[in-house]
Order: sequence, then structure tokens, then C-alpha cells
Amino acid sequence: MSMKDIPALEVSDIQATVLRPRPSPYRGEYVVLRIDNAAQGREMLRRLIPNVATSDDWWLPTLPGWVGVAFTYEGLKAIGVPQDSLNSFPEEFRRGMAARASTLNDIGENAPTNWEYPFGTADMHIALAIYSKDDENLEMALRLARQCHHDLPQISVLYRLRFSELPDGRNPFGFKDGLHNPNVEGSGATVHPGSGRPIKAGEFIMGYPDELGTTATGPEPEVLRRNGTFLALRIFHMKVAAFRNYLREQASSPAEEELIAAKMVGRWRSGAPLVLAPDRDNPELGGDQERNNAFRYEDDMDGLKCPFSAHIRRINPRDALKNELIAVNLHHFIRRGTNYGPPLPEGALEDDGAKRGGVFLLIGAHLRQQFEFVQSQWVTDGNFISHGREQDPILGNAEGDGIFTIPKHPVRHRLHGLPQFATVRGGEYCFMPGLRALKWLAGLEVDDKQHITSNKGAKQ
Amino acid sequence: MSATELATKTMVMSRPGAKTGQSNEFTLISKLKPGGAERMRQLLADGFTGERQKNTDRIATVHDLRFVIFDNDTRIMFASTFDGGWDQYIDDFGTILPDEIDLLFHEFEGYPGINSPDIRDWIVKQQVTAVGFYSAYPEASVRDVWKALKSKKALDALLDTASN
Repeated sequence: MSMKDIPALEVSDIQATVLRPRPSPYRGEYVVLRIDNAAQGREMLRRLIPNVATSDDWWLPTLPGWVGVAFTYEGLKAIGVPQDSLNSFPEEFRRGMAARASTLNDIGENAPTNWEYPFGTADMHIALAIYSKDDENLEMALRLARQCHHDLPQISVLYRLRFSELPDGRNPFGFKDGLHNPNVEGSGATVHPGSGRPIKAGEFIMGYPDELGTTATGPEPEVLRRNGTFLALRIFHMKVAAFRNYLREQASSPAEEELIAAKMVGRWRSGAPLVLAPDRDNPELGGDQERNNAFRYEDDMDGLKCPFSAHIRRINPRDALKNELIAVNLHHFIRRGTNYGPPLPEGALEDDGAKRGGVFLLIGAHLRQQFEFVQSQWVTDGNFISHGREQDPILGNAEGDGIFTIPKHPVRHRLHGLPQFATVRGGEYCFMPGLRALKWLAGLEVDDKQHITSNKGAKQ
Repeated sequence: MSATELATKTMVMSRPGAKTGQSNEFTLISKLKPGGAERMRQLLADGFTGERQKNTDRIATVHDLRFVIFDNDTRIMFASTFDGGWDQYIDDFGTILPDEIDLLFHEFEGYPGINSPDIRDWIVKQQVTAVGFYSAYPEASVRDVWKALKSKKALDALLDTASN
């Protein structure tokens, strides 16, 4: 394909959170706001816009941090978006993540009735993600964010969650993660080997053709959707002690514990993938971003290296399903993950009661085909790999009765009684608008000849 | 959010079609295009054999399916039992098997094409929910059954070898 067939992305109009990796190391905070007065909401937004990072100048060393901003359906309503426009949003977004609990298998401990306030309620309006490189800069960035609404009494802060990188960039379970993201065509992001063929930008950002050749026609108006996208926000608590105890029970040596853990994840703790390092960890490989994601499953179609049911093989099957009637290219999302809470001390087997886990922004233009498909078909079911109702060993929710199959010759190894290692503390579907759309939402004139329109006349 | 609110919201999103375990029944009833009945008979004269069987096997979630022509060749029913939800996979079908699916449904009046943005709405409009639905093995998927048959075959071979 020649370059002229690839539409240039308007990177200066797309939020940095969509296309650019967060800084590393990082410090930050998620903030949830409620708007009880549309005019104050728009005023807050007008002040916030200069701090919202775009995908072109996303990490200027002169800035204390960057802000990403997204709206729930109730949030769009609260800021005064006209009903016609609200109605043109996709149904799953309008209903919200909690209403999709049966599809997403958010039952038992994960049920929305167990979520923390304000998740799953109509009070959650705006989600802010504030990223910085260190504590000092974060305080400065948070101060800037607070100044956007400190004198607006009808804007309330409902929720704050501080996050920061754990030592060596590991997740709370002790694994290096966040090593894969799709290769978004025309995005200009650095492409490391293994991220696959370029995927049409319309899968991730509205305003461009997607993998089916379709360009989004909703939500309306065009100025609102252009360069915007959707995200599924998921906040997990990770039961690290339960994970370690389960490995201890199932294995007869520390080396076997590490092997079982790697089989569940699909990578060793260093990030080295099982397909490339089937027998033992290879930290040098794990730390090399030119190699640690450069693999396919074509030489492991029997799952002897990386189990069919391993977390990374389920979430991102690469070529593993090439003989099935599944168009894998329709089921990608961009994944922006951060960790919160202190690490559980090395070797500790007792839960210290601390909240720790990960927050994920799963970003794409088609929530139903992307996040909802992956969650319902690949994470919480096993039929697509002929594993019956077996679920993802890390994110599954079999309420303490999970199984995990490790292909092996002459007989498979099957683990039983898998506890739930990650529980959902909250989640929501959000719309992440482009910069022009933010201005439109704020009631400002939009600097675009084709779209001289604004949200000013909307109800208060 | 209260449990009642959740239940109401979930219902609005649900599709027609009865369900038991992981088996779903799926019945479409539609008018046929003029002359469609004869063309359907020709199309399906060899049944689901050869390439058509292979393509249908690839879907790997369809337990059975049938096309029934009635009302003096003016109407047609498509009835099937399959695992999971159809709407999650419809874009995948449209990407991988568009010609085969369009060929089978081409004679249904108003069929917009598998890759049409209107396909979901069209299906829902033609779909009639069964008033009664039974499955002898509601928790077994097509893949479970295939796997069980394969295991049985291997076990039989083992037993035969052991007793010889």
C-alpha cells in the first residue's frame, strides 16, 4: 500500500492518552468529577483544555504533567449536550458498563453492586487521568487541575486514586507488563517488533476508515466525534498473597512455582515470552523491547510452550486463531495500564489488607467489538480454544472454582480450584473527545471552517 | 445502582431468541424473492457437503441448521441452534465468509448483505423467538461435543489395542 492511501491522523487534535505511552517512571492520579451545573461544567472545561495533552506535543519536558479527560454518558448530559446528540451515541455507552454486567461476567465479587462509589452510578460524570514523572511535578499538575474548578461550587470531586510505577516496572503480581499495543496505522508511534501489521486508525479513533472500510457516522455532530474514541475503564484489586499461596500449593519447588506462574501469564516475570523462552526466564530477553514481543504462535500451535489459556494468548491471540472463523483484527484495543498501591513485600504470603492493583484504560472506537468481545469471549469463556467454560487464569471470575489447562506430553497438566486473583473495584465506559470536540463541549467557537458551531445554546 | 435498575437495563440490550445453558435457538422467517424458492432448491441440491460443509464447520458454534420453504414457495424459515451470541460474531463472519453467507440468504426478501450496516437490525426484525426450546446437552458446545467424540475414538482405539 502506498503512503497516499493512509490518511494522516490529526495528531494535534487527538488526546495523548490514546496514541502515546505514558511516561516511565510515572506518578499520577485518576479523578472523578460530578457536574451539577452545566455552565460551571463548561467553565471548568474551558480552563482544563490548555492542560489536556495532545498526541503531537505529548511529553514536553517543560510541562509538569499531562491531563487526559473523558466523559461518561451522564457527564455529557450534565454538561448540556443536546438530547439528539446524546441519542446518537452507541447503546452500550449510553447504558454504561454496570448495565452490561451479565455480558461482561461482572458477577459475584465483581458485581456492580460491590463497586466503589461512584462507579456504576449516574453520579460519575468526568474522569481525569493526570500523569507526571515525579511527585513534585504531580503536585504541580494536580494544583493546575484543581484550579480549573476550585471556585465552581457545583463541580464536586467524587473519587481520587493515586497511582505510581512499581520497582522495575512490574505489576503487583511481579510481572513486567504493558509490553504490547496494536500498531495504529499512521499514528507515528514507535513500532517494536511483534506489534503486528498496521491496523486501520478507524478501529481506535473516529474520523478515519476502520478495518471494515467504514468511517464512523455517529455520534453526532461530526465535530464531536472527530478524533474522539471510547474507553473502558477497569479498576482491579489484585490479590497478590492469594496468587503466591496458590502457586506454593500447586508446585513442589520454587522453580515450579515460577513455571506455573509463567504458564498462567504467558510470559516470565522479566517479560520474556514463553514462546521464545519456554523452559526458564531470560531477563535479558525480557528487558529488550526489540525482542520481548517479537513472536507469533505458529510454532506453538499445540500450546506446549504457551498454553492456549494463558492470559496474553487469550487477550491478544496474534496468529493463534488463524484457522478459526475469527477476524482478530476487529478485536484489538489500545491498552494504557497503571498500577496503584504498595508492592506486597517479596516472599510475603499473608495479605496485608492494602489495596493494590491496576487501572486499565482499554481504548477503541467499537466498545462492543473490542472490549466487550474480548472480555466476554476470550477472558471469561474457553469455548473459542475448545476449553469449555475455562476462563483467563489471571482475570477470570470463576468464583474460586477456576481451572487452568497446561498442555503437556504425554498428559496435560490441569490446575483446579483457582481462586479469583483480580477483582473489579469499579469501571465505566467513557468517551474521550478530540481537542476541537472539547472546545465544542465547552461552548467555545470551534476553529474549523467546516464546523462553526458550538454547544453554547444548550440547556443550562 | 439497584438490582432492579440493572435488570431493566440488561433486558433492553438483550436480543430475541430463546436460550438454555449456552445453547441459543435462532429462527428467521422471511418472504422469499420471486422465484427464490426454486433457486434455493438448486443452491442446496447437494446439501451441506464439500466446501459448504467445510465453511460451516469453520464457524464451530453451529449445532444444526435448516432452511424450510413453505406457504406455496413464498416464505422461508431458517432455524438453527448455536453456542453463544450471534451478534458478537457477525462482523467476523462478514470479514471471513461474506460470499458464502450472502449466497445462502440472498433470496430472503430485504436481506441487506452480511456487511451492510443494517444487517443486525434486519436479523432482529425477521427473528421469531421460540415458544419452547429444548436441548439434550445445553451445557455442551459444538467444540465440547467434537472434542468428546475425538476422545472417545482415541479411547476406543486404545481399548481395542489393549484387548488384541
